[in-house]
Amino acid sequence: MTTGLDDLHVMLGAYVLGGLSDEDHRTFSEHLRSCRQCQTELGQVSGMPRLLDLAGPEGGPHLTDAQVGAPVPLITEPDDERVATLLGEVGRRRRRRRAWLSVVAAAAAVLIFAGGAWLGPQLLGPSTPTLPTTRVAAAPVAGSQVRIDIALVTRGWGTQLDVVCNDMPTNGELALWVIDRSGKATTAASWRATPAGSSRVTGATALRTNEIQSLEVRTGTGRVLAAAQT
Amino acid sequence: MPLDDEAIAEIYREHGPMLRRVVWRATSDANRVEDIVQEVILRVWKQAPEADNLRAYLITTARHLIVDQHRAAGRRPQQAQLGEIAESDSALDRALDQVLVEEALGRLQTNHREIVRCLYYERMTVAETSRRVGVPEGTVKSRAYYAVRNLRVILDEMGVTR
Ligand SMILES: [Zn+2]
Repeated sequence: MTTGLDDLHVMLGAYVLGGLSDEDHRTFSEHLRSCRQCQTELGQVSGMPRLLDLAGPEGGPHLTDAQVGAPVPLITEPDDERVATLLGEVGRRRRRRRAWLSVVAAAAAVLIFAGGAWLGPQLLGPSTPTLPTTRVAAAPVAGSQVRIDIALVTRGWGTQLDVVCNDMPTNGELALWVIDRSGKATTAASWRATPAGSSRVTGATALRTNEIQSLEVRTGTGRVLAAAQT
Repeated sequence: MPLDDEAIAEIYREHGPMLRRVVWRATSDANRVEDIVQEVILRVWKQAPEADNLRAYLITTARHLIVDQHRAAGRRPQQAQLGEIAESDSALDRALDQVLVEEALGRLQTNHREIVRCLYYERMTVAETSRRVGVPEGTVKSRAYYAVRNLRVILDEMGVTR
């Protein structure tokens, strides 16, 4: 039996999931040693068994005969009623919107920061090296002594920004701004200065890494402390 | 620009069940599930992300909300031990990832999901799977290949990157 090249590449799937015959396993292992394409792809999916194990020995509700979503209690009202409740709430918020727009925007940024900062080490610990990451040092502007390093981590949802800052102002608010290729600036994280003058925070932006033109760390009053080109 | 009412209702119908499962599994607090799900959708409505990011955005928002509430409810800051928080957060993350993996499996094409079930969860060989499913071994292999690839794409989209 002859085995074409495509037949070889394709064995990667069963290699990861298991189930190849001894002969196929040997053949693919040998192919893997010399095939860059398969090496790269394997790097992307080699964590798959660990993820699949999270779903339990049978793979969770979608793989068993149990009714999907059955364990979630309290789903007795019809969906339409809950949609109506939700839309009612939307209407109320929309009316109040102008009043709390700025407050909520700030709170959302802080929340993203808070979540990221705490979860960061947990979420990213062992997997960080496998994520495409660009590191930049932000150059302090004249009159500023700050030292800031930023890692841009490519994620499914955009770019995670891990910021390490030292010799920073010791009071007031600080924020990380992301400027896209069209020059539009948005906040990706905001935090309060610490007495020690150093902090590690994690921000998030929906922009992909290659859509980011530059990054700036600014004070709450908008003064730029440092900037980095990507 | 805020999404309009119809769009919100649509998000709710399409993603509500998935969000409820995520929140339920992560919090085990039946009384809060609906509140959190609605809050997630309201926040996303406010920030109006691009549609192609929506699912990841909903999940990320849910994650933040749950962690935030978890902390606010659990302890006063001065009592919090760093290790304790880290430990419960990582348990929370595992719970979230578990649900997300289950969701991802649910989004696979049926014939790909079947292959993952046979090869991975039931530890069958390619030959056994071929007999069970009634397709040639070559088809089992190529379906396994695309199943793994698609699963990776779906998980990336959900922000599960490990
Ligand atoms: Zn290959």
